[in-house]
Amino acid sequence: MKLLKKLPRRALLFSCLALVVAGILGAAEKQPQSVQVSIGTILAGNQSDDFDVKLKGMESQLKVLKYRSYRLLKNESQNVPWRGAKVFEIPGDRSLTVTPQEFQDNRISMKVRLTQKQKPVLDTTVKIPNKGNFILGGPPHEGGVLVLSISAAAQ
Amino acid sequence: MNECERIENSIGPWLDHELNAAESEVVGAHVTACSRCSDARQRLEKIDRALSSVLVDEAPKIEFASFWRELKQQIEQKRPWRKRLLEQAGDWASAPRAAWAVPALIAVLIAVLSYQSYFPIWRSRNNFATVESIDSYGRNVALLREDGSKTTVIWLYQNQEGDDEAAEETPPAGPAF
Amino acid sequence: MELSDWELVQKCQSGDMSAFQELVSRHHQKVYMVILGLLRNREDALEVSQETFLRAYRKIGGFKGGSSFYTWIYRIGVNLAIDAQRRQKRNPLEFRDSMDSVLESQDEVARDPFAELHDRELRENLLKAINDLTAEHKAVIVLRTIEGLSYKDIGAILGCSEGTVMSRLHYARKKLHDKLRSFL
Repeated sequence: MKLLKKLPRRALLFSCLALVVAGILGAAEKQPQSVQVSIGTILAGNQSDDFDVKLKGMESQLKVLKYRSYRLLKNESQNVPWRGAKVFEIPGDRSLTVTPQEFQDNRISMKVRLTQKQKPVLDTTVKIPNKGNFILGGPPHEGGVLVLSISAAAQ
Repeated sequence: MNECERIENSIGPWLDHELNAAESEVVGAHVTACSRCSDARQRLEKIDRALSSVLVDEAPKIEFASFWRELKQQIEQKRPWRKRLLEQAGDWASAPRAAWAVPALIAVLIAVLSYQSYFPIWRSRNNFATVESIDSYGRNVALLREDGSKTTVIWLYQNQEGDDEAAEETPPAGPAF
Repeated sequence: MELSDWELVQKCQSGDMSAFQELVSRHHQKVYMVILGLLRNREDALEVSQETFLRAYRKIGGFKGGSSFYTWIYRIGVNLAIDAQRRQKRNPLEFRDSMDSVLESQDEVARDPFAELHDRELRENLLKAINDLTAEHKAVIVLRTIEGLSYKDIGAILGCSEGTVMSRLHYARKKLHDKLRSFL
């Protein structure tokens, strides 16, 4: 009788353990092969109130910067292998080198270097959510400032 | 350890009035007579003055009324939770419940491990980037996180002199680099 | 006649909220300054200060007067601050919370960088040197500098002996001096 009473509890514990194993196997992340990096180059300024309709999707992010006008200069995407570097040309004799490092917990770690006339201006290592982005801004250009929206998606 | 080394270790407690009368007299007499230890005393006093300036003099004053208002709100908010938790804690502490706590914990672990796969909308709520390192080669840089749009911004400032490279650009309006 | 901290605690234990308010009024500034000294971030320090008094309120029923009230409240505050520091260390770069403060700093950056250079550099280097100390060393420096507490009281707050307080202070001061040698 005592054994019968213990059975449901043991059965519950065993099934929980099985669920744990299934959960871990199911939740384990498959490592992606490469990263699709996209750089949106935007010119922000205060000389007008124009907002480029092509930037509608990131309006709430750009409004954070408190400029009056935003114009998309170019949008470029490249497939970058892990630990491989790709260079994106940025106006004003600048370039942005992106090197994805690792993929963990659905976040992409990458090194980003901004150079101007081949001299490094900024080196940073950031970790962003898969399909997320961050903003890098400040360099002057044509009476305004450049704002780079840097996003990455694991492939 | 020579006399000066022994005394030097005691200068701090001596200045802090932590030595007894006899020790204090010995240290005081030595510091007065020994130039090396006298210098050590002066250095320590300089450090203490600098610390005081930074930690005490420059600390902002908190307005008590708003501090208390906020605290009182938190106290009143938390009270019902506390009472409920106390009642539940008594039940949870009993032995039969402890056995069920194990599978309950396992279930929680499964949920935590799997939430990103089964609840993708949770993923999108946190777009914040983590900036693990940054080197701006001497330029001033600011980091900003804006809660509303979950935006992370790395902002490069224009230096006072401007950059050699930037000299060819038309000076921008607003906080440009 | 002004009531002592212990008398106010006893009133608070009987449910007198105004007694707790008086205790907060007496100690909130110093608690904030100590926590600010440890965290070096005003918003975090304010939040941790609030949490300190909130926890004190919840636990005040169990306070038996074995130590002074301020020793007890500092112990809560310092422990919370050390926990917050550990969370800070995982992401040590300080984020602003609005573009306004980013833009305000542009004005500071654009001013003559040579004005008050020495004092500002000393202050910045001292803050950095303080931040580079371990949590335990920072705590003794902050408690000693801000409150002028005795080694015994500091030991009671941090849960260590007077000898440990003395050696941590000695080490911390030596570290600070080594890093600021050129400014002193």
